[in-house]
Amino acid sequence: MPEPDLALDRLIHEPGRLAILTVLSSASDADFLFVQRATGLTKGNLSSHLTKLEAAGLVAIEKRFVGRKPNTRLALTDEGRERIARHWEQLDRLRETARRTSRAPRAAPQASR
Amino acid sequence: MDRRHLEDAAVSYAHLRGLLLIPVGALFLLAALANWDVVQTWVLAAGVVTVGLLWLAIRHHYREHYGSVRTSPRQQARDAIALVLACAIVIGVSVLLRDLPVNAIAIGFAVAMGVGYALGPGLRTHHVVILGALLIAGALPVWDGADSANAGLLLAGIAVALTGVFDHRAFLHTFGPTVDAGA
Repeated sequence: MPEPDLALDRLIHEPGRLAILTVLSSASDADFLFVQRATGLTKGNLSSHLTKLEAAGLVAIEKRFVGRKPNTRLALTDEGRERIARHWEQLDRLRETARRTSRAPRAAPQASR
Repeated sequence: MDRRHLEDAAVSYAHLRGLLLIPVGALFLLAALANWDVVQTWVLAAGVVTVGLLWLAIRHHYREHYGSVRTSPRQQARDAIALVLACAIVIGVSVLLRDLPVNAIAIGFAVAMGVGYALGPGLRTHHVVILGALLIAGALPVWDGADSANAGLLLAGIAVALTGVFDHRAFLHTFGPTVDAGA
């Protein structure tokens, strides 16, 4: 059972959704095709993840026309921006905890000499 | 999953669409040739129009195959600062070094482009090699002739186009080869 402050956001932790949110975190907005190319997800996979992220209020989706072509514009909401930043902080903290834990048994025999 | 790679995607898209630099480099070459009277004025004018149309077509190609993105407001501010700095460097270097036997145009462009990339996607090996070579060529004390500005323009044009080729390779490495996809 992880410590409560090290618990991960399960909605975000799925690799596809984590990739989508991370790409969008460094952009004001992007279209569907850009996020697809940057994450390497298939169209169907990306659509399915976006539906979940939109339902959770993390991503705003705007469908529009550019010229005569349909274009789907994606952007993180304020909550999405905050949650992805917190999630990466949490992962960094977990990694640091794991590093400290893995060093501990090696340090013990040296201390007993 | 490479966090850095994903976080850099928007900036990479904005700065590494290298094919866009090839017409710009060609424009520099054309300007140098026109100054040397190798090409006539109407050829230069036609060349400018052709280069402009080519640039728009290339931008359309990237948009069609890789989509579009707007970088964060913070990155947009960095890009604006880079642009102002680049202009100041080119003008400043041209004024400060005008009495020395060096090529101020080549030096100015090398430093300005280096600053632009450093504030954008970061300097890559090919930037250091190409812009470093341009800087060294410009700093050699052999540029005494009246045509040194034109020669600098020619060198800068070659460097810009070459940087574009390698930027595009880096772009393909990040986003993959062209595929037919629509959003």
